[in-house]
Amino acid sequence: MLTKLSLAGIKNRFKDYLVLLTGLIISAAVFYMFANLATNREFVKSNTQISMASQVFIFGMILLILITIVYIAYANSFLLSMRQHDYGLFMMLGAKKNRIGELVFIETLLIGVISTIVGIVLGIGMSMGLSQILFNQLGLTVHHFNALYWPAIVTTICLYVGLFLLSGIFNLAKLVRTPVLKLLHIDDEVYLSKRRPLVQLTEIVAGILLLAIGYVAMAKIMTLQLLAVPLALVTITLGSYLLFSAVIVGAVELLKQTNFANKKLHNFTLAQIMFRVRSYTRILTIVSLLFALALGAISVGAGFQRQAPQMAKSTSAYTMAINDMDKKEHNLVSQLNDTHTLTYSQKIVDNTVYYNEQEFVDHPLPMLDSRQALNDGSLKTLPISQFKKVALDDMDFTGLVPKNGQQKSEFATQSNFENLNRATTHTVTIIRLNNILAQRKILDRLEKLQQQRFPAPTMATVGGFQTYKMFNALFSGLEFMGFFLGFAFLAMLASCLMFKILSGANKDIVRYNMLNRIGTRRALMKQAVRGEILTLFALPGILGIVDVLFGLQMFKPLMYHPYAMTGWSILIFCVLYGVYYGITTLIYERLVIPKEQMNA
Amino acid sequence: MQKTPVVSVSGLHKIYGRKNERQYEALKGIDFTIDEGEFVGIMGASGSGKTTLLNLLSTLDTPTSGSVEVNGQDITGFKGKALSDFRSEEIGFIFQDFNLLESLTAKENIALPLSLQGVKKAEISKAVKEVATTLSIENLLSKYPTELSGGQKQRVAAARAIVHRPAIIMGDEPTGALDSKSARDLLDLMTDINKNQHVSVLLVTHDPFSASFCDRILFIQDGQIGQELKKADNNRQTFYQEILNQLGTFEQ
Ligand SMILES: Nc1ncnc2c1ncn2[C@@H]1O[C@H](COP(=O)(O)OP(=O)(O)OP(=O)(O)O)[C@@H](O)[C@H]1O
Ligand SMILES: [Mg+2]
Repeated sequence: MLTKLSLAGIKNRFKDYLVLLTGLIISAAVFYMFANLATNREFVKSNTQISMASQVFIFGMILLILITIVYIAYANSFLLSMRQHDYGLFMMLGAKKNRIGELVFIETLLIGVISTIVGIVLGIGMSMGLSQILFNQLGLTVHHFNALYWPAIVTTICLYVGLFLLSGIFNLAKLVRTPVLKLLHIDDEVYLSKRRPLVQLTEIVAGILLLAIGYVAMAKIMTLQLLAVPLALVTITLGSYLLFSAVIVGAVELLKQTNFANKKLHNFTLAQIMFRVRSYTRILTIVSLLFALALGAISVGAGFQRQAPQMAKSTSAYTMAINDMDKKEHNLVSQLNDTHTLTYSQKIVDNTVYYNEQEFVDHPLPMLDSRQALNDGSLKTLPISQFKKVALDDMDFTGLVPKNGQQKSEFATQSNFENLNRATTHTVTIIRLNNILAQRKILDRLEKLQQQRFPAPTMATVGGFQTYKMFNALFSGLEFMGFFLGFAFLAMLASCLMFKILSGANKDIVRYNMLNRIGTRRALMKQAVRGEILTLFALPGILGIVDVLFGLQMFKPLMYHPYAMTGWSILIFCVLYGVYYGITTLIYERLVIPKEQMNA
Repeated sequence: MQKTPVVSVSGLHKIYGRKNERQYEALKGIDFTIDEGEFVGIMGASGSGKTTLLNLLSTLDTPTSGSVEVNGQDITGFKGKALSDFRSEEIGFIFQDFNLLESLTAKENIALPLSLQGVKKAEISKAVKEVATTLSIENLLSKYPTELSGGQKQRVAAARAIVHRPAIIMGDEPTGALDSKSARDLLDLMTDINKNQHVSVLLVTHDPFSASFCDRILFIQDGQIGQELKKADNNRQTFYQEILNQLGTFEQ
């Protein structure tokens, strides 16, 4: 009987359950996608070659688990808020507490199991889709990636079912312990938050100070080393929290004084925001941090990828050296735009390659200004006397030999060079071009032709193009992970926020119903919903972007232009975040805005 | 002088339930008018159709057939903006459960209908102060509903119902949740508003004491108006007695 009643309750609120299930399914799907990468050792190993990467993933995984816990806690409170009134009523009518507890437990677990399973299926689909997009659109090369990966499935199931078991126990305890009357009236409680201006001012100052400390810590990562990250995390978290709680209240109070408040439903919206600040401060803080992490991951990943051509320029004075250019190769070279070419003669005797000094006087071979990391790739030409001294130790020069053996390089005066007997004569052509990325297809063909004729004994790399290819492969992995991390975090944080907002809908139904009764236009009510939710979405978004702008300072020692891709990633991010905002408002409007007339 | 009717209802039917479902006819042809400045009560047993009638008059629900005119306009066809604008401009509601927004102060609650109409801040302040003085709730204005007693809440709700000078105030058992002292205060207040500000009032109640404050009472029975009782020159006590007698005859 009780089971029947409880099922009827679910049926009545089917829409709400749909929201709950959808949210949980998306969360499970995202977690699966992430676990898929993080638990795939082969993938991490083969795509990064950086020992840090697996740590990054473990760190990301821990974060994601924490978010998932928060997320499920919110989802569970949404569930509980839907059900406690019903169950309170059953108890009032004499149902045994233990029986109710049992029902709640089963219901919670069932929802968990269903959403986990569907979520994993969706996650597999999403992994396929996203990886396809990344591979095809961005031309990334990634190895050992499987959309369907068993360890990830097991991890996801363990975490989710475990968490739902806990939630079930929690719900059981909560319902059994709370007095029946309180269960029936739990929705009526209202919190008033009145604050003293002095406290508020202190909060703002302390918040800004803490944020500043965090930002400085990130910028000074070279001096602070590893300490910078935890320091920044703690100070930024606290700072955001204080700032949110003080600034929102302050801003709302200020706005309430203005004419703005008296127009339309503005006062109502402001009051709504004010009333929710306390319960929202925590989630807004979390969301802003996650937003920053996600956006940061994408920016950094994309930034690294984009710097491959730059790195190519900074590691070599030329893009490619072509030995004994033949007709085919000549054709290809002439297709290249914006190139400098230089050709030198070589004579090989035994194991030594001789160069005509005079040719280097007439057409000096440029050298890198500096061989330090992160140099800007600028070049210099040396007078011949100096050039001869350094060239023999310079990779760019020694690498010009035909690649079929261990050869030494030597300079010879013009006459000596001409008089070399028993020598085979060769040429080497150096091409330097500005835009490697755009012409990489031609360069690829050139390289293939060269490798066929002069198979290199080792993967000894000469020329920027080789470097470009190596870093491109390396950074593809990073970018892929950056995107993956970024999207996983974004999806999670936005879902968290969505749930938190949706779980407030119950109380708002009454409010909007009242507004409808006294003749508020639907358009105005929609505006109110959008305004309120926009505030809740925009605030952490803005702080998150600020966090990222400062946070990228940490990558200055590692990257040429940490900010190069920031604009784009912010744009992409805002679009996706905006989609979440749109979905949340749509669902919310459906939940709370009543029909104008009862049976319309 | 012939008074113009504020509300005129004719041939009003309401059938609940869709065509192929189980149907129930809650109103079976109702005709009446309310004149400007009149205080009309609607009484009837539980389930007789009082709330249904009020919902139709206030456009919260649509009739199956028949017409409702307020200030000469047929309101049964209203949709969308016209509907909400009608509600916010012509009608003042007082509900049994107060229906105040607990996130707004009393003052902000009262100001709401004016904000909806786009009235200027200064004018809103003035109007709110005025009603607050009339209802002697000036000292409650900055409080939130949770800080108010039931009676105080209902006063605030009444202030919100009249602040925009509607054509008619409607109340569905507004005294239902109040103790007798607060109920009486509210009824006095409504009489006062009715007499001094010439706002028509339509009060739904099943409590004879509340009904005795009205000028005229319509008795609904099974979806039809059965009896009509006028106070005329009687004082309230005699009218109360008359109502009790009338209710007595129903019971036999
Ligand atoms: N939405 C609805 N669907 C179907 N029947 C309804 C609906 N609302 C009311 N009724 C029926 O219409 C009749 C009149 O209901 P109404 O709410 O108008 O009564 P009332 O006079 O206000 O009663 P009370 O004094 O108890 O408030 C009742 O028999 C009720 O069951
Ligand atoms: Mg009723």
